[in-house]
Amino acid sequence: MRLEIGNIFIKDVQFGDKTEVKSGTLFVNKDELAKIAGDDERIKSVEVFLARPGESVRIIPVKDVVEPRVKVSGDGGIFPGFMTGVDQVGSGRTHVLKGAAVVTTGKIVGFQEGIIDMKGAGAEYTPFSKTNNVVVKVEPLDDLKQHEHEVVVRLAGFRAANYLGEAGKDVKVDEEKVYETKPILEQVKEYPNLPKVVYAYMLQTQGLLHNTYYYGVDVKQIVPTFMYPTEAFDGAITSGNCVSACDKNPTYVHENSPVITDLFEQHGKTINFLGCVVTNENVTLMDKERSSNMTAKLVEFLGADAAIISEEGFGNPDADLVMNCNKIEGKGVKTCLITDEYAGQDGASQSLADSTPKGDACVTAGNANVVVTLPVMDTVIGYPEVANVIAGGWDGSLNADGSITAEIQVITGATNELGFNYLTAKTV
Amino acid sequence: MCTVVPISLTVGANRIVPTVAIPYPLGNPALDPADEKELRRKLVEKALKALQTEVTEQTVFKDE
Repeated sequence: MRLEIGNIFIKDVQFGDKTEVKSGTLFVNKDELAKIAGDDERIKSVEVFLARPGESVRIIPVKDVVEPRVKVSGDGGIFPGFMTGVDQVGSGRTHVLKGAAVVTTGKIVGFQEGIIDMKGAGAEYTPFSKTNNVVVKVEPLDDLKQHEHEVVVRLAGFRAANYLGEAGKDVKVDEEKVYETKPILEQVKEYPNLPKVVYAYMLQTQGLLHNTYYYGVDVKQIVPTFMYPTEAFDGAITSGNCVSACDKNPTYVHENSPVITDLFEQHGKTINFLGCVVTNENVTLMDKERSSNMTAKLVEFLGADAAIISEEGFGNPDADLVMNCNKIEGKGVKTCLITDEYAGQDGASQSLADSTPKGDACVTAGNANVVVTLPVMDTVIGYPEVANVIAGGWDGSLNADGSITAEIQVITGATNELGFNYLTAKTV
Repeated sequence: MCTVVPISLTVGANRIVPTVAIPYPLGNPALDPADEKELRRKLVEKALKALQTEVTEQTVFKDE
């Protein structure tokens, strides 16, 4: 499966009469976008705002972040299963409005939604302070149930992103990338002397607003399956997560899945990247056992010498991570784990809920419990008072002057477990 | 009493009684109320029995 990605660099976003890309600026017809995003009888109102890097703007509560993309050629469309049928995606050509993002906000759905600050201390923790954001504030009908509210806002974000993505279809791109994974027997033969690597891609699927979708299928209902890596770049995996903002993977992160892009970067140089096993993080022990057994079986069957395993979220998914590690290592395959930590505000507590001596190669995306103060912003899009209830905040997190004191857990993407974040450590 | 037995083992619990699921360890919304009460009672009785059982090592009390 071969996919060409054409990146169109977006350096600014403005409202305009027509939605189009001109000289690196994305112009957005506000009314047309609001109409398309709001095309759902369960929606009461849609408002559209712009938030650019460096502006004194806070977005709260953030539900999802979505990157505008469009299929130029090849099967299917962006976000299969939701927007565009269920054809297999990941081949042909896709254009990306690189530097632009749709951010969805509105009345809070769950208690685990996030904050994006475009300036100040908070901006240094979220990758989405660097994107030109088209903020879509969606308010549902008053009597809508929580889970339906989540669906409504999620789909509005996809419609908005696909609408903007269309503007990039006939635009000359600034950067070309080509990614290819061959069928397994051919792929193994292509680089016979390089170590073969499989990526075990764990997705948050605890239910009760903690869901992720693959081609529109709720991933808690799948048994682990093989995915060509480029499928992710066409939006095959989408977030439906109201999970702690710091370490959930917004849809944007799946579209840019950093572990996949890094493995492709080394593909043919230091490794032979065979593909991905998509797996879940379910809530019964039997599900956890079954999925980790299946994941280990697939990794073995694909002939991997080594596997990268990434987690999404924390707490009981730590048990899935450890099971995947133990069982894949048990097949004689080396593993490297990617997680984050909840080590307490002083960093002195046990970082993960579970552990294994086999997890001796592990990358951390940071400690989510670190406390920061986010300064006052001139403009707040959304509802600042939810700082007192979202995970990582507490009653009193919103200070009288409008600043917020909370754990970095509240910041969208702060400890992203696919490495799509800015935290780093160095020895001094 | 817990759902994710491996975590209980990792943290060193002596007597472990497996439960239903993380969002509802001692219940099951798929059951009707009478059956769910029966399930809860069985789990509690199993835990009480476990407490009265001498153990020499970490022990998981599985269904008999």
